[in-house]
Amino acid sequence: MSSSKEALVEIENLQISFPLEDKHVSVVNEVSFTIPRAHTVGLVGESGCGKSMTGLSLLQLITPPGQITQGKILFHATPGEMPVDIANLPPRGDAIRAIRGSEIAMIFQEPMSSLNPVYTIGNQISEMILQHNKISKKEAHNRSIEMLQKVGIPAPEIRVNDYPHQLSGGMRQRAMIAMALSCNPKLLIADEPTTALDVTVQAQIVDLLRSLQQELGMAILIISHDLGVIADLAEEVIVMYAGRVVEKGTAEEIFYTPKHPYTRGLLKSVPVLGDTSHNKLYSIPGTVPSPLAMPKGCSFRPRCSERFEKCMELPQLTTLSVAHDVRCWAREQEALPE
Amino acid sequence: MSDKLLLEVENLQKHFPIRRGFLQKTVGYVKAVDGVSFTLNRGETLGVVGESGCGKTTVGRSLLRLIEPTGGKVTLHTETGKFNLLELNQTELKRLRPRMQMVFQDPMSSLNSRMTVGDIIAEPLVVNNICKGKELNDKIASLLEAVGLRANDTRRYPHAFSGGQRQRIGIARALALRPDLIVADEPVSALDVSVQAQILNLLQDLKSQYQLSYIFVAHDLGVVEHISDRVAVMYLGRIVEIGETRRLFTYPKHPYTEALLSAVPVADPRVQHSRQRIRLQGDVPSPANPPAGCHFHPRCRYATEVCKREVPLLREVEPNVFAACHLANELKLQGVELLHTTPQEGK
Repeated sequence: MSSSKEALVEIENLQISFPLEDKHVSVVNEVSFTIPRAHTVGLVGESGCGKSMTGLSLLQLITPPGQITQGKILFHATPGEMPVDIANLPPRGDAIRAIRGSEIAMIFQEPMSSLNPVYTIGNQISEMILQHNKISKKEAHNRSIEMLQKVGIPAPEIRVNDYPHQLSGGMRQRAMIAMALSCNPKLLIADEPTTALDVTVQAQIVDLLRSLQQELGMAILIISHDLGVIADLAEEVIVMYAGRVVEKGTAEEIFYTPKHPYTRGLLKSVPVLGDTSHNKLYSIPGTVPSPLAMPKGCSFRPRCSERFEKCMELPQLTTLSVAHDVRCWAREQEALPE
Repeated sequence: MSDKLLLEVENLQKHFPIRRGFLQKTVGYVKAVDGVSFTLNRGETLGVVGESGCGKTTVGRSLLRLIEPTGGKVTLHTETGKFNLLELNQTELKRLRPRMQMVFQDPMSSLNSRMTVGDIIAEPLVVNNICKGKELNDKIASLLEAVGLRANDTRRYPHAFSGGQRQRIGIARALALRPDLIVADEPVSALDVSVQAQILNLLQDLKSQYQLSYIFVAHDLGVVEHISDRVAVMYLGRIVEIGETRRLFTYPKHPYTEALLSAVPVADPRVQHSRQRIRLQGDVPSPANPPAGCHFHPRCRYATEVCKREVPLLREVEPNVFAACHLANELKLQGVELLHTTPQEGK
């Protein structure tokens, strides 16, 4: 992607596998992309495409026996200094624990199950602050109130003593965001942050993420299956299918000049608001393959309308323009000369 | 589309008691459905939208008496006459049930995992003594083919199918009795985008093939707009607006509809960045303790004094457009711009 922006995280050739009887099944393969400082990258794909796994790997949070089996995750904490390779850090070591929460934070889809029901939200935010900063409990408590105010929770000095069940879904997600941002992370990973919420609340949370980014200047990796949310927030978009990146580019390129047959199909299958023609929707035939039975060659081949003989071989990501890459044999002629 | 009436719903109510204490005394009611009225013509699709807790699912289930409504009248018109479903006893209701079927949201939990697909689809036919033996097997095979599965899938179990295929099985089961009406409760919200489109197309094909009418309950406005002829918008147990789809989406008459439309994210960055946004403050209030007057007034940016005091009734503000808002005639609300080009064009 564009080299003018300074990289915060560089993911190179990432592979995540699960051991199964005598072999390894890889659920994420050859994933490479860069998250620039203070910018938003969107990761989009359907269930099982490996987008959440990729997000979790940035914090070494993959559930064992799953593990990173290949590749690098270079985290440039301070510009100019040597980057840390997160992929090499032990998942239970001090090094990754210093990064988790303080340098890179994450929010999840279901705010109810990611908050502890027996502690007040103030308690949970303070715990996070105390873990990473040498300050008193009182200061941490005040900081929690300040964070709750920042994410738009009314009467924060009262709400700070509420338990998660006393808050509505939208408020809980706000509390999660407050917790994630309490240590001023350089990167926020938001995994389907709005999926469990109603549309009107979803819109509030999206607005909140956007304004907090402008205020605090962190980078955001937004993971979603919802193309609308991605279109709203992301500047660069990565499309994943069956564990691989099939296309990446700027939001404009992905939404207006998509090149991969899967991206095109995905965009065409969403019912467009304002289109009352009642015409048939475009639909991609078939279903996503299981990681245990990946088709040979291009994994999208069985569902693709543009397939030909060459698709029996696995295509590589080829660059079409400065920031636009696609993994498809049918686009080979359009590739930039090396 | 014929204009023959299929279903008339008048003042449908479902109140769930709130019980507290050792003796489980009733201390109040959650008015999940609070006086809902609408009609449905033969061959028509009515979309019911709203946010969680607005009562849309309860409406769908009360119509079929899967939960017993507290009050109201649901009239089903058949060739043999009109029936008020809420007054029928169990035997009479069972005789009419084949006319109305349901498709559920979660295709995993709505199919019995210990039954084969053949048995699942056969069950309604066997229970109602429609057919047996070879005739039954042929019927199952033809139903499976109608929903895009293979006839020899009958011996497999639900777990062997993907989410989209399981939803097809649920649809085949609903179709088995050749109903007039299918209530589909969030039938595509558990599915991925590419599979969602397949199921929506299937529902539309089946509708013309089997002369079905749908009540399509969903929270996704894009999906509802695509499939519905008319749309009802619900808020806290009441219909706040109901009208023809295109009209409702382009010229909403209720401030809640306007806000809902404005909040839907569109898969088009330029549109998304240039749209004027209307943002509702706060969350949907608890249905156990709804605000006085118009339920929507605390979140409404147009609210006046009268909205705090008086409950607005659903009234015809324009021919065939009903809205429950005191200001429906004064306000000029912003709808969705009709799209002439889609973002995928011009590649």
